[in-house]
Amino acid sequence: MKRFLLNTLYILLPLLLIAGIMEVLLQHIPNDYKYKKEYLEKNAENIETLILGSSHAFFGLNPIYFSKKTFNTSNISQSLNYDYQIVNKYLNNSTSLRTIILPISYFTLFGKLEEGEEAWRVKNYVLYYRLNTATKLTNYSEIFSNKFTVNFDRLYAYYIKNESSISCSTLGWGLNYKSTNAQDLSKTGKIASERHTRKDIHSIESQIIFNENITILQSLIEWCISRNVNIVFITPPAYKTYTQCLNKEQLSITVETMNDICSQYPNCTYLNLLNDTNFVAKDYYDADHLSEIGAKKLSIKMNEILNTQLE
Amino acid sequence: MLFNSLEFALFLPIVFLLYWFVFNKHLRLQNLFIVVVSYIFYGWWDWRFLLLIAFTTFCSWLSGVLIQKYREKRESNPTQINWAKVVSATNIILNLGILGAFKYYNFFVNSFVEAFASFDIHLQPTTLYIILPVGISFYTFQALSYSIDVYRKQLEPTKDIVSFFAYVSFFPQLVAGPIERATNLLPQFYSKRTFDYDKAVDGMRQILWGLFKKIVIADNCAVYVNQVFDNYEVQTGSTLLIAAIFFAFQIYGDFSGYSDIAIGTARLFGFNLMRNFNFPYFSRDIAEFWRRWHISLSTWFRDYLYIPLGGSRGGKWMSVRNTLIIFTVSGFWHGANWTFIAWGAFHGLLFLPLLLAKKNRKNTNIVAENRLLPTPIELFQMGTTFLLVVIGWIFFRADSIADAVNYMQGMLQFGTVKAFYRILELKEFLFILILLVVEWLQRNNEHGLESFENFGKVFKKNKFMRILLYYTILCLILWFSGEEQQFIYFQF
Repeated sequence: MKRFLLNTLYILLPLLLIAGIMEVLLQHIPNDYKYKKEYLEKNAENIETLILGSSHAFFGLNPIYFSKKTFNTSNISQSLNYDYQIVNKYLNNSTSLRTIILPISYFTLFGKLEEGEEAWRVKNYVLYYRLNTATKLTNYSEIFSNKFTVNFDRLYAYYIKNESSISCSTLGWGLNYKSTNAQDLSKTGKIASERHTRKDIHSIESQIIFNENITILQSLIEWCISRNVNIVFITPPAYKTYTQCLNKEQLSITVETMNDICSQYPNCTYLNLLNDTNFVAKDYYDADHLSEIGAKKLSIKMNEILNTQLE
Repeated sequence: MLFNSLEFALFLPIVFLLYWFVFNKHLRLQNLFIVVVSYIFYGWWDWRFLLLIAFTTFCSWLSGVLIQKYREKRESNPTQINWAKVVSATNIILNLGILGAFKYYNFFVNSFVEAFASFDIHLQPTTLYIILPVGISFYTFQALSYSIDVYRKQLEPTKDIVSFFAYVSFFPQLVAGPIERATNLLPQFYSKRTFDYDKAVDGMRQILWGLFKKIVIADNCAVYVNQVFDNYEVQTGSTLLIAAIFFAFQIYGDFSGYSDIAIGTARLFGFNLMRNFNFPYFSRDIAEFWRRWHISLSTWFRDYLYIPLGGSRGGKWMSVRNTLIIFTVSGFWHGANWTFIAWGAFHGLLFLPLLLAKKNRKNTNIVAENRLLPTPIELFQMGTTFLLVVIGWIFFRADSIADAVNYMQGMLQFGTVKAFYRILELKEFLFILILLVVEWLQRNNEHGLESFENFGKVFKKNKFMRILLYYTILCLILWFSGEEQQFIYFQF
């Protein structure tokens, strides 16, 4: 037995050492989540407008176009449970916060990060935001959350090529979706709409997720009421190649639900900009994400709404 | 808990150390420990179904005890009702009832509704939201085999409930087999296990080979296969053919990989599980394929269905009928879909000509025995058998029979063979080639890394070279690990 254990240990030890070193090095690489968490820790007191949500907000709302002190804490595929936990943990004692902007996209009420293709991102909330959202052991680790080659590429890019690993501006807006490298709108419209459409919205799984999301929204609204904070829900603009392929029922449930919620709570406003004709092809990076041109347009529009209608 | 997960990587060494260093003094305690860790292993997926497996296990154990009791009573009073038979039948009905309710209820309801709809009678069905318990078909069959063996007097019933619970829930093979027989596995819980270095090392090698097959072969092929099967209407014929071949290796890597990890893990704990795969893609005919593919299920159906139905004792047509029945039922065992039934029936039809010509036991030896390469005839036989198996897999993988037929029609497009060379450009092809070469060299052994004699003297004599080989496989596993996919056979 002793011989077996020693031999196994000798063979596995180099691998365990490499794994340990990789884990430490990966966790030391700066990233958007770490940056945003640190920003919130230092500046939560001063933030007046907070942007939450998924990639639609991350790339679509640039805080520099807002007249009040604004920070974008959204991230790719960030679902409502993470939005609520971030607010609850990092802005609980904020006295300046007046408005939260929360995008309710076509898929928001029918999905959550843990069950999609982007589930590997859960580790970012566990490791960097320090939220208790882990659903499995791999959520506590960088190396086990991604493929080995992805981790290797990240280490190589940061430590050898000295490339920046931060992909957001100082105020949290996503920098990578530029008009200069815009994607094919008709192709991405079809793919994204398929990805965002729930296969069976009447299934019990879909209903469970939907109900969970509504409960989270209500908790967030209650949280805001107790702190005298307004919430503006927006369904962000998308290009026609995307909107034309959407499931009408899923979309109408989303819109009706948000209208219902906003009619119940005085601190809530809902803006459906999905088919806003002010946004044209050149405003988009792909069929459902704005480029920096579109982001400027949407941010200015949102700022006007906040300053006029909600004042 | 998946074998290729971080959870299992932590679970296994902890259980191993506790098993050999803490619980090895008392056999009963060690068996109880196996039950506890097996239930943790299973409950990791969904703890609610622990009650179901415990209930199934208890009923089968109780049926064994009662069968014995009533048999003894009847021996002293032969005029009494055969309660042993009643108990055995009740246990079979109960187990199959649970399996049917969880696995087949919605299928039967929907099939009836569709059948009535074709006569313009539209029923309002009541389908249920049922989560299929992982591995239910495997542990149900394992529990069933015990009570049937007891009834047939092939096995003494056990009064040791802990050993019986350990036998049904033994975590290495609980969710995807091999489907063990009580006659093989249960007695191993009665006697003290001793640690065997060679056995444990071989177990580790088999685990490593199983991980290679699962992570490098199956998970990488799965990405290609899923993309093609999900949009097969827009694919070229050659792409469809490549995806069908990749699926053959995906399912082999996935399922035989699981079996290798299961058998290897059991060896670490001093247990011998039955062999489940014997290099099936080197078969020269369909009959040989079925002696080499999912052996524990094929022999289960042979012993508990084919033989009770009369086997081949009633003449040629009885054999034909029984063969078709077991192949079809075996297909249905895999899942509640007509595609699985079609897959089983297809194999049954392929088997029949061999049976009628009495050539179904022609190829019982190892192909190209004592030779490095096969003869051209053997190569042709293996190639045609493989192609027939691939056609069967299309039914198995497709969502419906119509999809399977359309897929095959698409495969027959002009230019399929011409553009087939593209397979050489895919990394999955390289992985498959490695698998085939290693398994061809090891085809007289139980698994791909069992013996180093076939790899050359340098591996046999030099420990450093062997360690280098382990590291090469580990690096391949790490570097080419694809998207993590659940084991296909978990759903059965």
